[in-house]
Amino acid sequence: MDYLYDGSFDGLLTCIYHNYYLEKADGIYVQELYQPALLIESYSVVTNEQLSSRVYKAIEDKLSDESLHHIYHAFLSKYVDRENIILKYLRLGFRMGPRIDSYHTHPDVQPLHKIARKVTTEVHRFLGLLRFTDNGSFLHARLAPDHNILCMLADHFAERLRNERWIIEDEKRNLAVIYDGMTRNRGSKQRHWYIICLDAPLVYPAQGCDPYQELWKLYFNRISIESRSNPKLQTQFVPLRYRGNLVEFEPLMNET
Amino acid sequence: MDTMTKLSVLTGAAKYDVSCASSGVSRGNMGKMGSTRECGICHAWSDDGRCISLLKVLLSNDCIYDCRYCVNRRSNDLPRASFTANEIADLTMQFYRRNYIEGLFLSSAVEKSPDYTMEKIIKVLTLLRKTHEFFGYIHVKVLPGADPVLVRQAGLLADRMSVNIEQPSEQSLRLMAPQKTLPMVYTPMAQVRDEIRLYKEDRKRLRHTPRYVPGGQSTQMIIGATSDSDLTILQTTSKLYETFGLKRVYYSAYVPVNQDSNLPALATAPPLLREHRLYQSDWLLRYYHFDVEEIVDPVHANLETEIDPKMSWALRHPEFFPLEINRASYEELLRVPGIGVKSAQRILRQRRLAAVSGDELKKLGVAYKRAQYFITCKGIYGGSQPFDPTKVRTILAPQPQATQLSLF
Ligand code: SF4
Repeated sequence: MDYLYDGSFDGLLTCIYHNYYLEKADGIYVQELYQPALLIESYSVVTNEQLSSRVYKAIEDKLSDESLHHIYHAFLSKYVDRENIILKYLRLGFRMGPRIDSYHTHPDVQPLHKIARKVTTEVHRFLGLLRFTDNGSFLHARLAPDHNILCMLADHFAERLRNERWIIEDEKRNLAVIYDGMTRNRGSKQRHWYIICLDAPLVYPAQGCDPYQELWKLYFNRISIESRSNPKLQTQFVPLRYRGNLVEFEPLMNET
Repeated sequence: MDTMTKLSVLTGAAKYDVSCASSGVSRGNMGKMGSTRECGICHAWSDDGRCISLLKVLLSNDCIYDCRYCVNRRSNDLPRASFTANEIADLTMQFYRRNYIEGLFLSSAVEKSPDYTMEKIIKVLTLLRKTHEFFGYIHVKVLPGADPVLVRQAGLLADRMSVNIEQPSEQSLRLMAPQKTLPMVYTPMAQVRDEIRLYKEDRKRLRHTPRYVPGGQSTQMIIGATSDSDLTILQTTSKLYETFGLKRVYYSAYVPVNQDSNLPALATAPPLLREHRLYQSDWLLRYYHFDVEEIVDPVHANLETEIDPKMSWALRHPEFFPLEINRASYEELLRVPGIGVKSAQRILRQRRLAAVSGDELKKLGVAYKRAQYFITCKGIYGGSQPFDPTKVRTILAPQPQATQLSLF
């Protein structure tokens, strides 16, 4: 039996639940992307938050927070077989318990660690590589990440830019996080951001050139030591595919 | 002078300072803007492949001193500029909101006097912390010779402080920086060390004690401007870690900027490979339980350039190898070329479940190509050749140049 779900994390966990209490899953797939296989039946799973939270809790209790962290990051990855990697990992995990992450080289563990790490790395990278522009009414950032990492960025910026209004837009997936800039009560953990789907990229009237953007470009050029120039190393850290949204790689307005 | 020109001059003058780290402090946003992360965050990488984490500028390049190795020395004829405290605070805040930076690294030439400059630095910090309620990362330079009261004031506002030692020996410092002496460097270092301890102690008892330099202190040494050996450099390094509890010692390959008979000629390339080997040795001291004398000694006073210092040690100590991966202690594992801190920890974790085989080592992140000659797994020797230091050296040494690895 192949389980098909709506693409949400709760949906995936609901499938895992059914794998144990209904029928063993051959595979789990996002409904929209599913290509029916001969001889295997498929079943469209309705996401059920009660069931998913039981699985969530079971992972926390029987495995570990570390496992949960790995699983969630793997889920955010772009790989098409991520659900099945998670399924295999969990099947082993519920047998082995919290020791599972020590079994780094096991064929059901390593793939999960690997894709989870790719996502964690990209999240960390974008905490730095995200660039906001100030358009007069809010701060706006665009990115085209390999993985679906918006939700992992939101908390970080809601914390540090708590008095600002900002939007972070994933132009690959047409998603955006919106933060309304309301002052939070000190110490309260309440989030004020939400994720929306966009029909088209956001556009707003051009504001003319931002002087701080120019100052930053100048800074970026001046801080480099010519006799240590090493573009290969630079590319290793800032792959070309990310540079479209990095203002410092654009030429200065008035080259001085 | 407009901000654009000032920024251009005062960035160009600050770029030889290597540190750009924003790590070591974990703090939420308790004010209007900013937070810090334990691991630090890099925001950009410049053409030279160095990470940009902080806005690194000088408050002023108008120096009264005349250090021979420095672009800003008094005897150089170049454009001089000084930021106002407001200008720097404003740049920091505006760069920070756009997520260009993690915070500020503020340094300065000695403008008028050490105290005058230090007071101005404190003014910037006060503006940022109090007026703008900025909670991002701030690293400030302590000027040798500044009043201890000012040093303490700065420490209560900054995350990290550094006093640059600049040269690895007293003699070189005297030659290179005639107005500076080692005691001028060591006095504020000791003060910051003591005050870090004091405030930490107090904080245990009184929750409202302010934080004092929570990111610790660091320093920088210029490499290759003088004839000091790697032995001298590493001995000084080790002394700095032990005596002052420094978080980091940074090395800066000297980039010739001045014509001077006591300095390398202007066309000399900065000794990047040497700098790289020194950083590797520094890691061995801090994370691999090595002593300086194991890395360099009076007979081998300089690091080998073709192979890394750990490999160099291993080849000089064949009696230590091969090591059985499934029995070796953590410290022993760390001695194997190709095994790092992470992979050693993974080996320990995994072998509690089952003995580790050679194949699995690769999956655990071990650089097997190098490690194979030094280990056995379940009693089986890994190398394609029997362990013979001279042979292993010829196999491993002529690797493609590893001059530039990720250091910053
Ligand atoms: S005191 Fe600092 S800025 Fe002034 S000449 Fe010496 S190293 Fe350069």
